[in-house]
Amino acid sequence: MKLAIRDLSKVFVTGTGEQVPALEGINLTVEDEEFLCILGPSGCGKTTLLRIIAGLDTPTTGSIQVDGEALSGPSRRIAMIFQEYSLFPWRTILENVAFGLEVQGRDREERKAAARKYLDLVGLASFEKNFPYELSGGMRQRVAVARALAIEPRALLMDEPFGALDAQTRNLMQTELQEIWRKTRKTILFVTHSVDEAVYLADRIVVLTERPGRVREIIPVMKCAHPRDRTCRDFVEIRRHVLDLIAGGSSD
Amino acid sequence: MKGMRLLLIGCLAVLLIAAGCTTTQQATGDVGILYTKGTGPMPTLLATKQIDGYIAWQPFVEVAPVAHIGKVITYSGELPPDDRWKNHPCCVLTARTDLMSSNPAFVDAMGAATILATQYVTDHPSEAADMVADWLAGKGNFTYGNITVSSVDVLDRAFPTVKFVNEPSDQWMNGQVEFVYALRELGALTGSLKNSSDAESKAILFDTGPYTRAMAMINASSITVPEAEANPIGVGYLLSDHHASLFVAVKKWQYFNDTYGIALKPEDPTATRPDLVDLLVKGKKVATLKLIPADAGPQLMQLAATNTIQVAYVGNPPAIAAIDKGTPLKILMALNNEGSGVVVITDSPATDWASFVQWAKERSAAGKPIKMAAPGKGSIQDVMLRYALEESGLSVKEVQA
Amino acid sequence: MRRPLGIILPILLLIVWEIAARSINNQFILPRLETVVPVLLSPTVDILGTGSLVHNALVSLERVGAGFLVALAIAIPLGVGMGWSQRFDALVDTTIQLLRPIPPLAWGPLAIAWFSVGINSMVFIIFLGAFFPILLNTIDGVRAVKRTWVEVAQTLGASERQVLSKVVLPGASPTIWTGLRVGFGIAWMCVIAAEWLPGTTSGLGYLTLYAYNFGQMHYIIAGMITIGIIGIAFDLLFRSVEDRWFCWRGLER
Repeated sequence: MKLAIRDLSKVFVTGTGEQVPALEGINLTVEDEEFLCILGPSGCGKTTLLRIIAGLDTPTTGSIQVDGEALSGPSRRIAMIFQEYSLFPWRTILENVAFGLEVQGRDREERKAAARKYLDLVGLASFEKNFPYELSGGMRQRVAVARALAIEPRALLMDEPFGALDAQTRNLMQTELQEIWRKTRKTILFVTHSVDEAVYLADRIVVLTERPGRVREIIPVMKCAHPRDRTCRDFVEIRRHVLDLIAGGSSD
Repeated sequence: MKGMRLLLIGCLAVLLIAAGCTTTQQATGDVGILYTKGTGPMPTLLATKQIDGYIAWQPFVEVAPVAHIGKVITYSGELPPDDRWKNHPCCVLTARTDLMSSNPAFVDAMGAATILATQYVTDHPSEAADMVADWLAGKGNFTYGNITVSSVDVLDRAFPTVKFVNEPSDQWMNGQVEFVYALRELGALTGSLKNSSDAESKAILFDTGPYTRAMAMINASSITVPEAEANPIGVGYLLSDHHASLFVAVKKWQYFNDTYGIALKPEDPTATRPDLVDLLVKGKKVATLKLIPADAGPQLMQLAATNTIQVAYVGNPPAIAAIDKGTPLKILMALNNEGSGVVVITDSPATDWASFVQWAKERSAAGKPIKMAAPGKGSIQDVMLRYALEESGLSVKEVQA
Repeated sequence: MRRPLGIILPILLLIVWEIAARSINNQFILPRLETVVPVLLSPTVDILGTGSLVHNALVSLERVGAGFLVALAIAIPLGVGMGWSQRFDALVDTTIQLLRPIPPLAWGPLAIAWFSVGINSMVFIIFLGAFFPILLNTIDGVRAVKRTWVEVAQTLGASERQVLSKVVLPGASPTIWTGLRVGFGIAWMCVIAAEWLPGTTSGLGYLTLYAYNFGQMHYIIAGMITIGIIGIAFDLLFRSVEDRWFCWRGLER
């Protein structure tokens, strides 16, 4: 799925009438089957951008085209994975994964079969009868991924999905995500503030400035093949470059 | 702004204190009257010495000596002034005027049923006492501390003090007018009966047509079948043996049905105190009656005013007061005369009315006026007690416990 | 029982009661335990012609059930609407806050005038008692539903109706259930008081009032104990369901 973002900006109006610009003049094209990371300091509007693409917020100016059509609200072609508290605690794992299919009106047996398939893909097939509170943070995020994949979207939006996990689980999840992406070949937009994570995962990295967020630079990370070695020279070079960009401040 | 707030709070505080001081300086009468809703709380209040005595209708007068919490000093017929209250009218049968004009034959039939039942009560007092005990208490026992007594026994004791009559004779009507005077003097009449002459009062209060017609039907041994009523008719009554004619009419329905062709048949034959009763005349169901008991007369009149009940067995002062205020009711006939009594705590020096007055004066002089309970402001017991006290030279003031 | 400790205090109270009753020696203030216990031990025996404890308890429960169901049927949808839509809440909230402080019993005379004596006026009063706790808890429960859950559902393609039925309602259900439990408790209290209105001829509240009319304190206390026992039984019932169905509440992360 191809995304074309033109001149997008977002201004929030607070309760007291104050205007807070969050994003300014974003121009971006996301290629089909691409893994794109959006990186930036806190408050730079990266989550806002993701939410607008997900259809949960509307831009103040500018447009988004999905495969040539204008975007208008949440769409089944684009699924979103949130950072935490996203699983429905009253549903079993299987019921959670099947939610998107249930909403479409698919019949029960069909839903369960499809849900099992994706649960298996993330390696949690044996947990289908458990409840979210019985699972660890990492496992829950895997379920969230399975749930998003189950509706067979063309693109996945991920908002710092591993942000609440400890370092080891995080690394594991990154590797797993790579695997899943390799198998399913979805377009993925991945928001993070971890440079390491971005360099490890992305085909390209979009670096945003501080608020109001503007595109600072788009850095291709094609030189390193997957699975990436965090210690190889290219990796380290790109990483340093990105860090410099971010540390360089908002002088633009 | 803060200053304003403080000032307001200050004023409020001063007002409250002033109000508090004023209340405690209010004048007290020689005797205080406490109104309880109905007779229920009275034995408890007497036993816990929160009141010094009470006036109530039977059988709650007999409850006191039986439970050893008090003694009867006089029955209502003997209250002063002398001979004024002898055979005093007590409870009456009333009906709403709209029912009387829409279905007069129905009201006549209710009258006939009542008359026949009253006759039965007078002829078979002990059987009637039994039925009343069944109605009021399922013939169960009353337990007062270590004493257990059968409700039948209590009713047996109470019955002789009640005189069951129906005829709205001239003498009876004059007795009713005495109550109009008494209520007037107490300032309770502010409407149509405030300044009416005796003749006007009688015209406003009574309609003896149903009685006359009912008696004629009974003498001719044939009760006219009224038009059927589509909706249930509410019939209010009090938990007192004064309304024995209603209870007997229901309990002995088969007898009245077979002998006179009129009956109040309970829809649930096993209920001790039925609340749904069918009026049958010559075997035909004329109406469903909803029997609704209340705690006291004034409460019944409230229900009559809101058309929740259309017929009421009630004491006469509440009926008089309600009609005075404009409730569309008429008094049709008597249910009973007398049947109330005054009770005081066991250790009181009073043994009759004269010694009671003496006792009251002594207590008032000592700064501890006696407190009497009466069931509901404006009830017959309240009117009689206050009148008798004032006749005996004692001032009366309502108290709040 | 989950808390065996909980039974110590009632037993102590019973002992204190018996001692106090004996020393006061006035059955109008405190009847002896031995007059009350037999009444409780024979709950199917008729009392003063009003029926047995069991019969009257069932009658009262029937009334509570009816009023409670009506309250539930109105309060939950209304609460979901008010919790979900700011506009709707702004429209309705002032009226609710005006009506809420009025004690259900104060509506008694009006209830009789509008719905006539008997079960209808009682159901109205009971409805008023149960309505507000259920409504307020529903509103709170709906507002507490995590925005993330709603947004997940939206991005997975759920319509607004589906969001309400598949996410908001289940998400709010533990809080709503608490509202039901509290509402039932209040409804139970209301029925007892509602049965003191004229025209009632059965029920536990009516029984206690009738016994009062004849100074039969032991029946009154037996009635009160029965009322308490039924109240606590239902509370435990609600709580046990809470434990089974809503164990996921508060355990997410």
